[in-house]
Amino acid sequence: MSLLAARVCTRRKAVFCEGLADLAIDVRDLTKTYRTPFARKKVEALRGVTFSVERGHIFGFVGPNGAGKTTTIRTLMGLVRPTGGTATLLGEPLPSRVARSKIGFLPESPYFYDYLDVGELCDLAGRLFGLAAPLRKRRADELIEKVGLTRARGQSLKKFSKGMLQRAGLAQALMNDPELVVLDEPMSGLDPIGRKEVRDLILELRDAGKTVFFSTHILSDVEAITDRVAIIARGQLQAHGTPAELVSRALQGVDVTVRLPTQRDGDGALADGASRVRRVGDELSLTLGADTDVDAWITRAHAAGAKVLAIAPRHETLEDLFVRQVAEAKP
Amino acid sequence: MTGRIWAIALNTFREAARIRVLYGILVLVLGSNLLALFLGQLSAHESGRVARDVGLAGISLFGSLTAIFLGVFLLYTEVQRRTIHAIVSKPISRWEFVVGKFAGMVLVLSVLVGVFAAAMVAMLVLQGAGVSSGVVKAIVLCWFEVLTVAAIAIFFSSFSTPFLSGIFALAMWVIGRLTPDLEAATAFAAPWIRATTKLALEIVPDVHLFAVSGRTLDGSAVSVHGDFVSWGYVALAGAHGVGWIVALLALAALLFHRRDFV
Repeated sequence: MSLLAARVCTRRKAVFCEGLADLAIDVRDLTKTYRTPFARKKVEALRGVTFSVERGHIFGFVGPNGAGKTTTIRTLMGLVRPTGGTATLLGEPLPSRVARSKIGFLPESPYFYDYLDVGELCDLAGRLFGLAAPLRKRRADELIEKVGLTRARGQSLKKFSKGMLQRAGLAQALMNDPELVVLDEPMSGLDPIGRKEVRDLILELRDAGKTVFFSTHILSDVEAITDRVAIIARGQLQAHGTPAELVSRALQGVDVTVRLPTQRDGDGALADGASRVRRVGDELSLTLGADTDVDAWITRAHAAGAKVLAIAPRHETLEDLFVRQVAEAKP
Repeated sequence: MTGRIWAIALNTFREAARIRVLYGILVLVLGSNLLALFLGQLSAHESGRVARDVGLAGISLFGSLTAIFLGVFLLYTEVQRRTIHAIVSKPISRWEFVVGKFAGMVLVLSVLVGVFAAAMVAMLVLQGAGVSSGVVKAIVLCWFEVLTVAAIAIFFSSFSTPFLSGIFALAMWVIGRLTPDLEAATAFAAPWIRATTKLALEIVPDVHLFAVSGRTLDGSAVSVHGDFVSWGYVALAGAHGVGWIVALLALAALLFHRRDFV
């Protein structure tokens, strides 16, 4: 390449990357089509996915199984070649070794060399990141403690449970003190305590200035910790924004719980026109429609001898949105 | 770059060292050397010849079969078990990964060839036959042969299943070994058969260059039991092997570079 051509190339890259400086991930119209080996049948895993992740944010990438979450992540991590579209990681166009040196990655259902122990796994990751031996040892010690595997340090990964493997995977992903952490289903296989610990770790990483991009289908985790969220279904992005932006604040209904008088057998009058009706013993829970006159309903309940125990407005949740978006996704 | 390749090589060595089949092959080779000791006792004044022939055949045969076995499985299982996902997502090029896997295999195969050779030398010393420079040269040639076969296996493994890769690699090794015989057999055949054979032999590494004992080179017979090849020949044959190894690894890296890891 001539010197002039090299300069032009560098300038084009600078122009291309201008404006992307604040973005950890920028994906434009990404497509991936697989072809079956003999039938040559096309399978469109990604169909024009576009989104961006700002630096310092926690970004949740949600979708049902087979939606294209893992394909998107594998494309970003250089495991899969995109059929079309562009993507940048930390301002570097894909595929970029420079970007990968600043990224920590936890694959989905991580498979590691089962003859290694967690310290050796971290050491291998550190070697691939080009870290010096003393730094590898120090980082491995810190991270193994952080993910709670100190007591299992001498065991080979073969003897690890799925949750322990997930933690080992997190430790190896953080060996290079990454700017961007990409986690594919990090809560998968973890018990509630383990999930909370991973959530805390993600928040800790964000507080340390890192960007965290993680995929999941556990919506409570997304609602709890993400700054922004994207919903993908059938290889297409369905929604993208902050959880508050995405869910409608309009009243969806009113959740009511009442205690029925013991002599009363039926609850038909109170449940009339309500949804999600559930009766346990003498307690009746139901959801009134958004247009129901709640005051009139309460008066009616009191008249029937019922005692109102709880009443709360119902707004759209991320789960409602998720179910709606997935149902509306184009085949 | 070398640090990353070395990391993959060391890990490959550890992985291969856990394969129990290798220990079975080791026992088989040591057993064949003991058999050579026994057969040597049965032959009159030829115990050294038997030990050399059996020992070198063991290194070549079992070394090459081990190279095919390791070559077709070590790369394939990385993709199949998805252990490669956590590796190539790090700042390592795919060609570095392929070279690292091969370097790991070189370590394993060198240790194996070393043990096989040590067993043969022990048999020769036990029988008072001594170790000539010809034996040392033959061992070095076997080592080059085994490494070339490993590169053939890695090349096929970069795009095919272990079963097919094993068959292809075995076929190339056998054809490469029989090149002079195939040329001689087709010398008086129809022109198109000669041309086809010549073309086929051109695309197969000349592994027969590493097993020259008992053949005629430049008009004179060479034998590990008598007049053997010079060190110059060993260097040339080795360079030929290295050339094939570099070419095969480059092709493997190119094919591996284009693969999707799903």
